[in-house]
Amino acid sequence: MIKVDISKCTGCRKCETVCAFFHSGKVNHGLARMKVLNLYETGVDGPLACVQCQERYCLSCPENAITIGNYGQIIVSQTRCTLCGVCEKACPVGAVEIFNEIVVVCDLCGGRPKCVEACTQGAIAYDPEEEGPSLAALKKQTKKMNPSQKRHFYLQTLGSKLRKIWRRPNA
Amino acid sequence: MLKYGYGGRILRVDLTQRRYSIEELALSWVRPVIGGRAANTKRLYEELDPGCDPLGPDNILIFGIGPLTGSLLTASAYFTVTAKSPLTGILGDSAAGGQFAAEMKLTGFDQVIITGKADQLIYLLITESGVEFVDCPEYKGMIITETTDAIRRERKDYSIQVAAIGPAGENLVLFSSIVSSGNRVNGRSGMGAVMGSKNLKAVAVRGSLSLDVADPLAFLSEVEKIDQAILSHDEYRKRYQLGTTMLMKDLNDIGILPTRHFQEGVCKYVDDISGQKLARTWKVKNKSCFNCNVHCSRYYLIDDREAEGPEFETLCSFTSRLGNRDLPFALEMNQYLNQMGMDSISTAEVMGWIMECQEKGLVRPDDLDGLSITWGDKEKIREVADMIAFRRGVGERLANGATKLSEGFSEEARKLVMQVKGLDIICGDPRGIKAYGLTYAVASRGADHLRAEPYFELTNRKEEAKKRFGTEKAADRLAEEGKAALVTYSEKIALITDSLTMCKNIGLCMDILNFENVTSLLRYGTGIDYSPDYLQKITADSIDLEHELNKKLGVKREDDTLPERFQKEPLTEGPTKGSTVDIKRMVDEYHKIHKWDD
Repeated sequence: MIKVDISKCTGCRKCETVCAFFHSGKVNHGLARMKVLNLYETGVDGPLACVQCQERYCLSCPENAITIGNYGQIIVSQTRCTLCGVCEKACPVGAVEIFNEIVVVCDLCGGRPKCVEACTQGAIAYDPEEEGPSLAALKKQTKKMNPSQKRHFYLQTLGSKLRKIWRRPNA
Repeated sequence: MLKYGYGGRILRVDLTQRRYSIEELALSWVRPVIGGRAANTKRLYEELDPGCDPLGPDNILIFGIGPLTGSLLTASAYFTVTAKSPLTGILGDSAAGGQFAAEMKLTGFDQVIITGKADQLIYLLITESGVEFVDCPEYKGMIITETTDAIRRERKDYSIQVAAIGPAGENLVLFSSIVSSGNRVNGRSGMGAVMGSKNLKAVAVRGSLSLDVADPLAFLSEVEKIDQAILSHDEYRKRYQLGTTMLMKDLNDIGILPTRHFQEGVCKYVDDISGQKLARTWKVKNKSCFNCNVHCSRYYLIDDREAEGPEFETLCSFTSRLGNRDLPFALEMNQYLNQMGMDSISTAEVMGWIMECQEKGLVRPDDLDGLSITWGDKEKIREVADMIAFRRGVGERLANGATKLSEGFSEEARKLVMQVKGLDIICGDPRGIKAYGLTYAVASRGADHLRAEPYFELTNRKEEAKKRFGTEKAADRLAEEGKAALVTYSEKIALITDSLTMCKNIGLCMDILNFENVTSLLRYGTGIDYSPDYLQKITADSIDLEHELNKKLGVKREDDTLPERFQKEPLTEGPTKGSTVDIKRMVDEYHKIHKWDD
């Protein structure tokens, strides 16, 4: 899975920009499978992509258009997909989003994620062995949110832990 | 139709009628100005009624980005806001980084031109399909991050980027700023007040269009060369660790750190207020603008004070410049000014001028409704800043800036305002950096370093100086010789950087951009034919145009000068001891090179 250490993220969005560019030759965060959020009121920044959760909520696709690949990545069959939006609604962290009639979700770049190479801060790592977390608790909390709100909520949750570390007195 | 790099469209917004229109951006119009600052100036030149009231509905407020803004090009994160300045009455503009510009790019509008005045407080939501005019009387008095958060929350969309004004802009403080991305500031020349005068609380952008470059692989290869040049640069580590706050010690080391309002150039307690100190103590992480690999900014957290920054100018303005040695207090002021939307340099100049004049007995407390303020008086500094932001009490007069405030006082007092053309001087004593002195004197928005940022004179590259500017002296910070040639070169690179819209710390200070690599970037990025010679020509033309515009706005040849202090009073201590600026000599030479005979 893609592992993110938000304490190292400066919010530059290079991972997101490079992701969009290498997948489409263009730049737009809508085309990026990894999206960065900047929380200006708390100073927290962080990239969010599919965390390969244990529950795999997106497999609830009614058209069976979603399968899991060899690396654990999500594969969306463009021929089966009807853009019904069930996967987008199902993902608790907003890592699946439809943009320009395409389901945009991390595909791990065939095992060599470009975002990991792009990050000069070491905030993103790829560990093919590590299993993803359970998102069951988040699932309930973000039920009625759109993908942007879910990402925001998720990052706020991670951020509040980080801010506790920031608050510790400096040595 | 412009296909690559550019969005190819401009957006005109009339706030009075609540109408907008979309026009095609013509290649013939934009090719000679590229985008950003130069395009904004050209627009202002063509469309501004020079006699208009800067705070009236006829003033034109322009948001501009460039063809490569928000692209893979490192630090292509800037946007420029331009209007007639309410502070100076001449060309006003100010650029900021952060995330706003990259999102504006995705709306497909290269320029947004705003005129008129809304009948009540509103914000604009600009998307690729046009503009929504949103009434927001409930936002009145809101600070910057609250405004940003409120818009994103209401719209349920955290990809929205917001450029807002704070209370200072609403209250028409003449040096109020526009702030985006929490703490990224279009600080200078009062662009916040222009927004305030139009009842425009914020401009929000959200786009779904994609940025396409003409030759993606060739463009990527140019970008990689630039990334390599940045990462292998001598100053990279230092800039990564300290950003512009490195200048506190660097300027002090050469005796030009403004201390007690430019009375001294050496600050004895610099280690208490330095960037190094901040990095060791309250800094919690690096921060970055869109797609930058320097990450030179920082976030700090100390008790209930937290914000991004401060940049050097704010740090120095609220420490040595005002005789304050308490770093946490400067951090508090950084947060306060960014949330209120008020320029730190001009705010500090108002206070510094009063402090010096009161010390010298030139301004009495009675002259200022009983206000008395001395060096480093934190309580007073805090209180006066708030009086300015809300135009309360004597703050009503202070909010017009030091230059206007000084009118009505003695000539001796007026001379102590550290300004050129009504814009307050930045933190860098020109007596020890002569090319900067020349830049302050001739810059088209008034005392300003960013119009040329002749950082080269501090790099001691003598051979390179001889090659580029005909004399080794161009790399000697204390010499006047060769500085007109240096400024004439670097003001062009500054203009290109502003027009691309890239960061000047990288493009110019780190000496990364030149006419050759910009030609390649523009060719592969936009598919439009550029050449180094053509870039030389159009940058010179744009600088002439700024000069012409300012002539229409009343600027005279004799306004290209520096305050008397820098010409006559030598500094008494440190490595710049004994030096003054022969500004006339440099300005004459500069005008001669430009063939300006007015």
